[in-house]
Amino acid sequence: MKELSLNILDITENSVKAGATLTEIIIEELGDTITLTIKDNGCGMTDEVLQTVLNPFYTTRTTRKVGMGLPLLKLAAEQTGGSLEIFSKHIDKYPNSHGTTVKAVFFKNHIDCAPLGDIVETVKTIIQGHPDTDFFVFHKLENGEVSLDTRELRQVLEGVPLNTYEVIKWIEECLKEQYSEIQKG
Amino acid sequence: MKVKDLANSDLFTAITLPQGDREINGVYVGDLLSWVMGRAQSDNAWVTIMSNINILAVASLSDTSCIILAESVKLEEEVIKTAMDKEINILSTNMDIYNTAVYLSKVI
Repeated sequence: MKELSLNILDITENSVKAGATLTEIIIEELGDTITLTIKDNGCGMTDEVLQTVLNPFYTTRTTRKVGMGLPLLKLAAEQTGGSLEIFSKHIDKYPNSHGTTVKAVFFKNHIDCAPLGDIVETVKTIIQGHPDTDFFVFHKLENGEVSLDTRELRQVLEGVPLNTYEVIKWIEECLKEQYSEIQKG
Repeated sequence: MKVKDLANSDLFTAITLPQGDREINGVYVGDLLSWVMGRAQSDNAWVTIMSNINILAVASLSDTSCIILAESVKLEEEVIKTAMDKEINILSTNMDIYNTAVYLSKVI
């Protein structure tokens, strides 16, 4: 992926497919690392599936014999001297605490580290594509933080779908405003 | 030209050649795997310096006729085994990517 944000889109897509009602997208840019954490409450994976998920010839899709999201994220992280970890609890074994967490660490000073990309566009795309599931986005930077919680939005919106043009526009403005506040310091 | 013909030339060595009769009808060059995955065409020879096992999945998805490793990049044994298993042709050359592409443009 040319940008880390494309990995966020890809991994979040897995979460939604796993039936997550809430997916947390946490980006921490502290010191010389960028840590991406995607945590969902979807059905989780069995130990057998977890064993094969980093194998590029495994996939949850039925149309292809290879699924590249996680292997490519692992490669992108390791190319910078970073790492990828996956934790998962399958619904059969953990009926009340199931879900998957993917955590990738990148060293941003490494010459092969991809740029983070446009987080505002990424969040808009995710919410637009999945208006019925919830997302908590949290971007922590050295000098401030940006956050968005669709659960809070939903309460205020009283039934207006999240993929309504005005709502998406509002989300964009809200995130951009938070980023510009940080830049001002 | 067929992959086996290229493998028989002095400039290339076959690392795996399970499907030597595949035709090469074009060339794609690139190292960013996610990028290559959506752009390399079926029956292309794909020239790269990447050696991670993921290259096999990319070659398989894009249905390239062979992977050509430029600058004599080495593969781990596991990658070679998997390539045989998945019937993916891999050639090696000590030319760099540019010269490999220039050469291929003359011969295919």
